[in-house]
Amino acid sequence: MPERRDSGKMATTTTQQEAFLENGNIKLLSREMRHGSRTAHNMSSSSLRKKSDRALVSKIRVGFLRMFFTNLQEVLLGTKLAVLFLAIPIAIVAQFCNFGSPWVFGLSLIGLTPLAERVSFLTEQIAFFTGPTVGGLLNATCGNATELIIAIFALTQHKIAVVKYSLLGSVLSNLLLVLGTSLFCGGIANMSKEQNFDRKQADVNSILLLLGLLCHVLPLMFKYAGKSPELTAVATLQLSRASCIVMLIGYIAYLVFQLWTHRQFFEAQEDEEDDDVVADDDSPVIGFWSAFVWLVLMTAVVALLSEYVVGTIEAASDTWGLSVSFISGILLPIVGNAAEHAGAVIFAFKNKLDITLGVALGSATQIEIFVIPLCVIVSWIIGIDMDLDFNLLETSALAMSILITAFTLQDGTSHYIKGLVLLLCYAIIAACFFVYKDSPDSADPTSLLGLVPSAGTMRV
Amino acid sequence: MAASPEPEAWLLENGNIKVLSKEMKNGGRRSHNMSASSLRKKSDLSLVSRIRVGLLRLFLANLQEVLLGTKLSVLFVAIPFAIFAKCRNYESPWIFALSLLGLTPLAERISFLTEQIAFFTGPTVGGLLNATCGNATELIIAILALIKHKVDVVKYSLLGSILSNLLLVLGSSLFCGGIVNLSKQQKFDRKQADVNSLLLLLGLMCHVFPLIFKFAGKSTELIAVRTLQLSRACSVIMLVAYIAYLLFQLWTHRQFFEEQESEENNDDDYVVSNDESPVISFWSAFIWLALMTGVVALLSEYVVATIEAASDTWGLSISFISVILLPIVGNAAEHAGAIIFAFKNKLDISLGVALGSATQISMFVIPLSVIVSWIAGIGMDLDFGLLGTSALALSIIVTSFTLQDGTSHYIKGLVLLLCYVVIAACFFLFDAPL
Repeated sequence: MPERRDSGKMATTTTQQEAFLENGNIKLLSREMRHGSRTAHNMSSSSLRKKSDRALVSKIRVGFLRMFFTNLQEVLLGTKLAVLFLAIPIAIVAQFCNFGSPWVFGLSLIGLTPLAERVSFLTEQIAFFTGPTVGGLLNATCGNATELIIAIFALTQHKIAVVKYSLLGSVLSNLLLVLGTSLFCGGIANMSKEQNFDRKQADVNSILLLLGLLCHVLPLMFKYAGKSPELTAVATLQLSRASCIVMLIGYIAYLVFQLWTHRQFFEAQEDEEDDDVVADDDSPVIGFWSAFVWLVLMTAVVALLSEYVVGTIEAASDTWGLSVSFISGILLPIVGNAAEHAGAVIFAFKNKLDITLGVALGSATQIEIFVIPLCVIVSWIIGIDMDLDFNLLETSALAMSILITAFTLQDGTSHYIKGLVLLLCYAIIAACFFVYKDSPDSADPTSLLGLVPSAGTMRV
Repeated sequence: MAASPEPEAWLLENGNIKVLSKEMKNGGRRSHNMSASSLRKKSDLSLVSRIRVGLLRLFLANLQEVLLGTKLSVLFVAIPFAIFAKCRNYESPWIFALSLLGLTPLAERISFLTEQIAFFTGPTVGGLLNATCGNATELIIAILALIKHKVDVVKYSLLGSILSNLLLVLGSSLFCGGIVNLSKQQKFDRKQADVNSLLLLLGLMCHVFPLIFKFAGKSTELIAVRTLQLSRACSVIMLVAYIAYLLFQLWTHRQFFEEQESEENNDDDYVVSNDESPVISFWSAFIWLALMTGVVALLSEYVVATIEAASDTWGLSISFISVILLPIVGNAAEHAGAIIFAFKNKLDISLGVALGSATQISMFVIPLSVIVSWIAGIGMDLDFGLLGTSALALSIIVTSFTLQDGTSHYIKGLVLLLCYVVIAACFFLFDAPL
């Protein structure tokens, strides 16, 4: 049994006592027993962590101050993305000094990137204290905090098109961009090896995505199969709301499946060479209340930056000459997903495709059957009419993406061509959104999005 | 002719001794080559060897090898008839039909010549040559039609090629193979089929979006410009995918695509030993290739020029002739080869031929046509019309689903065939506007 490296960390337990030969994998079982299972999401984010160097802080004599600074260092500097934190104060300054909306937009986007990663880190720390099940639930919810917060802000500002496009773009980016680059890079790096993954997990995600697709296609068909726009608008809204309740039921069942009854499908595989990544995360590095306070703080900053983003999106679109659909459908998700994206690619390099798939497909599924229905329900409560009709072009893009991804993953192996094809599909969809610009005679981007916009549903 | 001995190359890899020695000898035979070789005849050189003059004998041997080396060579007589009919201004339908008949053996001979050249240039360049020249007929017809601004003929003929490969060739192969091998397990390696299906789905995506622009947009002029821009961008993307596919197939993962041979196929020795060494020299093959391509171009020009007249006279829509008739003729040689290999229960080769051709047309010939039209200033986009795109989508989905479990039986083939009949009936009854 190889010793784990302790290197000046807090208490580590030895692994000899829990050495069972279950599945022939001694380490996996001992770690499981210690903090429940590690989900793919946690594993992926952990690849962006840095081990904190305590040398500087330990010189401070006052005990309380030292703990405070340790905490600060752990949280703020514990990631390779920490340099992007600088964008946050600059963005706030820019907003107050009215530098110009495109600047505020760009800086807020950059500032959101490390925040998403830190929120995931804090969720994992809290999970050490609350146990695996609540921890998994927390992770599932907070993992897409950025997308959820942006969507709710856009809803309150009645920018329904932005909501729809950004959520759709998140699904597409996870399915095609993240998965495609991971499979491609993994395939190139591991050209001589067999690349396998467990297709059961991919299958469950594919079915749920297809359920979500059905819920989008049927309201769309109302528009074409029905006669009068006013009647179909009401029916579309009612069907959308009913479908959302169904999707949320599906999501709850998926959580039960993933965290309780069939959790063995979703355990990340680790093998012996992974010492330096895993040893970092075996025990919490900050206290529960500290993590909780930081989480609340960071969520508030995410909310602030998201409000800037949603407020300045049209100005940025006008200045940069890109359509709102392109910015919310392509740019926003790429930024929001950057940390997960990097993690997924790193794990693909190490030929650990199950983790990569867990990250990419898991995120896509969560957005499709949790965030989107939640937004519809929230809009129902607020009194805004958001339905599941994402218009012909976007729905067909979604349909083709789900189809191609499901087909790609169904045999349980991978090679670089699969990743390249998914990437090229994303490039085509991006080209589509890019080309499909606002026509010069209409400032309302939603007018392009459908044949006959049903009354009351596509208002921006 | 020389048959090389193989005792030294014995290795027990996969327990299949013959495969390794042949691989080492000619660097992996592509499915396309194997299929075409099924239509070859061994030339009987006894007649020619009686001629005393050396040069004349070589020349005639060469002629016999090239012109008479196929069972389809009887159709060669249609070519002079077609040229004669054109010069004498006979009825256009006659020219059309004779040109079509003449194109059939030419496609097969071009494949043969490409294979001969591959012996000299090595497997990689040979594979590339084969990938390009294998669809020479479709490419030449498309470019000639583009030049005459018959964009709908181009679109329909290429669409029809894909449909014919996916449904007709594959369907008849699986059906005949299934009937003949009723008692045996029919398996194939699904990895190769998967890669092809994936690329076909990528191509489908590139066709679906320009079509949706037409339905989702408002003003037609703006939409036309946008559709063209998107089509051109997608064509570049498709060509990138095609280059990656070639790299994958010919270099990094070539083991997926080597076909398997097994010990009981002794009668195959007859066919295979025929092709182990080149039968004509490099320059001779090159000259013949240039010559035959020239004749293909000539006949294709006749076909494209007389298509409307034939359509009027025979009462068939242009869409039907371009989608159904042209590809059946152009593909006849490959079709026959695929069926023959399915009879011998070598489904990997049949699949390689059918799916490989469909992928090549979808990922190479179609984007190349769009790029050529871009250079020529003609506006060809990837919008193949609602009917054509739906037919394409359903065909790809049905074929992918059929092939996804790695086995086959005659019902699979029959279903694919019947799908093709439905599509043919559709185009027969309805002159689809583009």
